[in-house]
Amino acid sequence: MADPLHHVIIGSGSAGFGAAATLRENDPDCRISMITMDSLPFYNRYDLPRIFRGCTDWHELLAVPPAYYSENRITLRRHNKVVDVDGKTQQIRLAHQEVIHFDSLLVCAGGRAYLPETLIDSAPLMHGFGSYEAAMRLYRDLPENGHAVMIGGDMIGIDLALTLLDTGRRVTLVTNAQTFWPHEPDDELRAQLLQALARRGIEVVQDARPATVTTPEGAERGRVVAFEDGTTMTADVVIPSCGLVPMVEFMLNAGVDIERGLLVTPELGTTHPHIWAAGDVCQIWNDEEKAYKFYHGWKNVRVMGELAARNIKGAHEIFDVKVEDRIEVDDQGNIHSTFWTH
Amino acid sequence: MAKSRNGTDIQFAIIGSAGDGTIAAGDIMKRAAALMGYKVIAFDIYPPEIRGFGKCISRIRISSQQTYSLKHKSDVLISLNDSHAIAHVGEVRDFGAVLFEDSPIAAIPEGGHISAHIAAAQVPYGFANRRICEEATGKARSRNIVALGYAAGLFDIPAEIFHEIIAQKFAKKPQAVTDDNIRAFDAGFAAGKATFKLDDVRVGMPQQVANGKDAVMMTGNGAVARGFLEAGIDTYFGYPITPATSIMERLAAALPRAGGRFLQTEDEIAAISATLGAGYAGARAATATSGPGLALMTEMMGLGVMAEVPFVVVVSQRGGPSTGLPTKTEQSDLNLAVFGGSGDARRIVLAPTNVEGCYRCAGMAFEIAEKYQTPVIVLIDLYLSNRFETVIPPRENVFAPKPRIKPELPENQPYRRFALTDDGISPRALPGDEGHMHTVTGLEHNELGRPSDALHQQMNAKRHDKLTSATRYPGLTTCKRFGDEGRVKVGILGWGSTFGEILETMYAAQDEGISCAAMKVVMLSPLPEERINEFFDDCDHILVPELNHEGQFANLVSGALGRPVVRLNRTTGAPMMVDEILAEVRRLAQTGIGEGTHSPVQQQGATT
Repeated sequence: MADPLHHVIIGSGSAGFGAAATLRENDPDCRISMITMDSLPFYNRYDLPRIFRGCTDWHELLAVPPAYYSENRITLRRHNKVVDVDGKTQQIRLAHQEVIHFDSLLVCAGGRAYLPETLIDSAPLMHGFGSYEAAMRLYRDLPENGHAVMIGGDMIGIDLALTLLDTGRRVTLVTNAQTFWPHEPDDELRAQLLQALARRGIEVVQDARPATVTTPEGAERGRVVAFEDGTTMTADVVIPSCGLVPMVEFMLNAGVDIERGLLVTPELGTTHPHIWAAGDVCQIWNDEEKAYKFYHGWKNVRVMGELAARNIKGAHEIFDVKVEDRIEVDDQGNIHSTFWTH
Repeated sequence: MAKSRNGTDIQFAIIGSAGDGTIAAGDIMKRAAALMGYKVIAFDIYPPEIRGFGKCISRIRISSQQTYSLKHKSDVLISLNDSHAIAHVGEVRDFGAVLFEDSPIAAIPEGGHISAHIAAAQVPYGFANRRICEEATGKARSRNIVALGYAAGLFDIPAEIFHEIIAQKFAKKPQAVTDDNIRAFDAGFAAGKATFKLDDVRVGMPQQVANGKDAVMMTGNGAVARGFLEAGIDTYFGYPITPATSIMERLAAALPRAGGRFLQTEDEIAAISATLGAGYAGARAATATSGPGLALMTEMMGLGVMAEVPFVVVVSQRGGPSTGLPTKTEQSDLNLAVFGGSGDARRIVLAPTNVEGCYRCAGMAFEIAEKYQTPVIVLIDLYLSNRFETVIPPRENVFAPKPRIKPELPENQPYRRFALTDDGISPRALPGDEGHMHTVTGLEHNELGRPSDALHQQMNAKRHDKLTSATRYPGLTTCKRFGDEGRVKVGILGWGSTFGEILETMYAAQDEGISCAAMKVVMLSPLPEERINEFFDDCDHILVPELNHEGQFANLVSGALGRPVVRLNRTTGAPMMVDEILAEVRRLAQTGIGEGTHSPVQQQGATT
């Protein structure tokens, strides 16, 4: 009897998890391995603001009970970093020197938080929000009546900022080009959106470029944001929120086309016959626009994972955008984003 | 009433290869925990092979309240070598932690890294052990200490305690070794401290911090040696054999300093012959061996019974028969210890159930042997020999020999060394006592000791009956009941090292609402039948879990009392597990004897 096919999924977020579940549904016998740098089984990162509403136990954030993985024979490899994918030999090399063979590879690695170059040196003093651990560190370091400075303000960040306001924190938003990422509102809409945020209580600072983040002299806690114009601002925490950059470095030897993300067909296949991609890591060919496009948002990403899995098993389905990119302000001044639809 | 279990109760499993410092790391962990005031039970498993081969495991259970065995599931696994640790990932409970090297330098085959085997419900902690170690010390040698430091940092265990133990451990080496290891520990500690903790393992404060300095970490073998020394052992003759060797090693170092004599003989027969000779001469004499050694010693055991010579033999059981499983535990030498040898050769057999029991039994064994003028066997096993527990020894030596009272010589009568007395115990003189010349022989003899078959029946009865009162020996726990009083659904009867698991099972059963009691039997020969019988009277069902195939203790008890027992037998080489005893208790509580589903091993034992 031939060995069962080994389907490897890089990433354990919405796309990766959806793919694993779909693969199992379509093939009871195959091997499924999910490789992730995360510590926890799949949880929805869009739910992380719930931490500030008292949901601090990670068990409550999990999308499925841990037993789901063993019951469905899905090998979940956490703390695993992929350093190279060799398309010719169909092998993945992990940072801990293990080599894994794949029959099919689905890359759902997502993206890492983008940080403007001027702030890279200050990164250790800022509070990310990309994982449960990071969110909990932020929760720990930001007291209930504390002050957070958010730099950028992508849609994940805006959601967080509104939650922080609702739970008694003060938020200052220092805008930049990534504000409202992945939306790209025109100037008029952007102004409306910022006004809406200000009305909600967020202190909006425009046209100020942060230069450094430091700790207050002699203090154990707190941060000082220094701007290029020489002004400063103190806060308990500084949160960078400038969108995502696709994580594709490990794919450079894979023999697939890369632009900013992995370039895939509407069936989510790459230029390698055994490699697919889904989620925030890939740009999908849009035949109408004759361009490769990113499609963000939880629903899109999940659908991509499931679709890619079916196509890996022989289907030829085309990605149909579930949620069009849209952001608006209603008559009551509330912001609505398709990015938040989940 | 069920015993409440609150506070800290954490089990660490450190797993690596020989040469990785696995046992050393476990040793530091257990000693640090004991110094902090925790109760500690620990057990090390290591291979007989040379460095670089074979699996080493150090399991350490630390608790704020007394516990009685290792847990079936560990809370934390520290992998020092994935090739060995992978097979044990499944022993980590849900939401427990698995600590491992995430930056090894050598290529690993697919599936060879432990992260591929950690279940979703377990929490992985990968850390760059080698890099941390090299940055801290310039070498990779102290990775075991880095791992310890990482665990201490992660679980918020004070570093200072570890510093003290590390300094003690390396005290005989150059200061640089201690310094390197403390640097390695601190670097690991910092990494662990900086790690976001996701598991639900909580290490709280011990309840009896004040006892930390008084508590002594001992293995069963160490406890035997300490008991012997406090009892004033004069001579030890031994031949090395796993798992008893460390008794010999300890006494080889300590006994000459205490004014005694130590000799490693050419084999077990020589060892027991010399022991018997020394015992005859009035010395407190002992030897230690394992099942194969005891098989060789049985002839001299018989002579000791016949000649009524006091001496002590420690038997640490391992898997048998023959050479068997030298590094695995078993309880299959009961028959040999109680019945081995020719003729009717009743002797005293004590089977302690924990490390403190080893200390007490060894300490009292000489006195008992001398009182009853017969060999005493202290029957332990590998699991008890190598198991560490915290013991708080009495501040004063309670085992020191009392001055010997020389027997009075009746007027105008020859000294009758083997006089038939009411209690069967004859006046014992030592060689050289003026006027007490007598004959000693392995032949049946008369009261003077001279060969004669005329009194064979009386002498057999004397040698047998004189031991009966030993079941009520003052200061010695020969058997003891635990748990619910009065009538209970299930009684668990046990002996030796398995009794720890039995006690844990009993408490677990009580927590489930099953009326349950347990009795440990320390004196296997003569058997304290009266109290065991009372226990039987109180129990709807009697379960006897033991680590042998035939149910040797079950046979002993049911044969002596003529009452049925339910057997639970395992010969996996590993200790009995609480879960499997508990399953049988549940079955008995619900369905009774002969009903329900038996495992194949249980079926062969059925009921008697």
